[in-house]
Amino acid sequence: MSTYIYAITSADHPLRLKGIKGVGDPASELRALGTQALSAVVSDAPAGLRAKRRDLVAHQDVLERLLADGAVLPMRFGLVAPDDEQVLTALDDQRDAYLERLKELEGCLEFNLKASRDEDDLLREIIAESEEARQLNEFTRENPDARNQKIALGELLSREIQHRNSVQAQHIVDRLASLTVRQHAAEQQDSNFLNVSFLVRRENMESFSRAVREEADRRGPAYSLSLHGPLPPYSFV
Amino acid sequence: MTVVPQSNSTAGGSGSGNLYDVLELILDRGLVIDAFVRVSLVGIEILKIDVRVVVASVDTYLRFAEACNRLDLESGRKAPTQLTDIVGEATESGAKGKSKGALTGAVEALSDSLQRAGDSEPEEQPERRSTASSSRRTSRRRED
Repeated sequence: MSTYIYAITSADHPLRLKGIKGVGDPASELRALGTQALSAVVSDAPAGLRAKRRDLVAHQDVLERLLADGAVLPMRFGLVAPDDEQVLTALDDQRDAYLERLKELEGCLEFNLKASRDEDDLLREIIAESEEARQLNEFTRENPDARNQKIALGELLSREIQHRNSVQAQHIVDRLASLTVRQHAAEQQDSNFLNVSFLVRRENMESFSRAVREEADRRGPAYSLSLHGPLPPYSFV
Repeated sequence: MTVVPQSNSTAGGSGSGNLYDVLELILDRGLVIDAFVRVSLVGIEILKIDVRVVVASVDTYLRFAEACNRLDLESGRKAPTQLTDIVGEATESGAKGKSKGALTGAVEALSDSLQRAGDSEPEEQPERRSTASSSRRTSRRRED
């Protein structure tokens, strides 16, 4: 039976797992595998595991429970070892690296912040500030068939949108950075112009989320800031 | 505007919270051990719709241009001014109204996260939001 891995902790973590279960249906039983320095929280890997809501929540819940009592290295969802023995071997092989990372993460939690902006608001700002965009907009309104000018307008807008979004994203990160240990930005952006995870010390959690709220207040209703956390430090392992 | 993360999130709750919003973290980040495999996760393609927002394309340009042509520039310019006035007149309530709009998601997210737990989660895949912005999120490559 292969072994599903949830997390790695130091050996002195209390591993209070009572009352929670692992992935699978029926839910698998959690157990701990320990070396002298490290523990791994595992369960049997259910056959045909999929990323079902139930399983994702189970994975996340195990990590959150562990996180309450000390540093945790959260595994990516779906990681399976051939058997328990090989999990223990991996703990031994990577012992120093894991211990060091656990030490770095001690007392820290992840917060994920996404920010988006109402597109019309952004377009209005561009039109108000760019003479060229304003002229192209007026021209293409009056000449709906002027395809080349439309493309030129769109290209200009696209460039402006990217530029303005990245400036705003950087402003937000800069405002919050002093309350955080590290940041990890998503590589690819979508409709959110900002998608960044912050590693935050536990004692700074409240001031951090207050700072996010103040930032949202300052920016007003055209912006939408969405903060998620505290989370296991997925982005910092 | 009252929810602040008090401490770590271990309380019980409904489990229906903000899973979608942290999905990318659970699926794409976190530690891997090279010697081990990730199970083949059928269904992730459904969850993680590739973002095909090609910013530099004629289609995108035309879309932006048309959105801009349709824009009501006048009314748009008035709205923020009005809000500022309200804030100026009655800072307290004005600011509250404003922040409410801007941070609803965050407040929900925080409370969800603080109350999340795992014993009553529904069956369906964690694709729950339907706005364009959410459903087109999460674009990083799946683990090979």
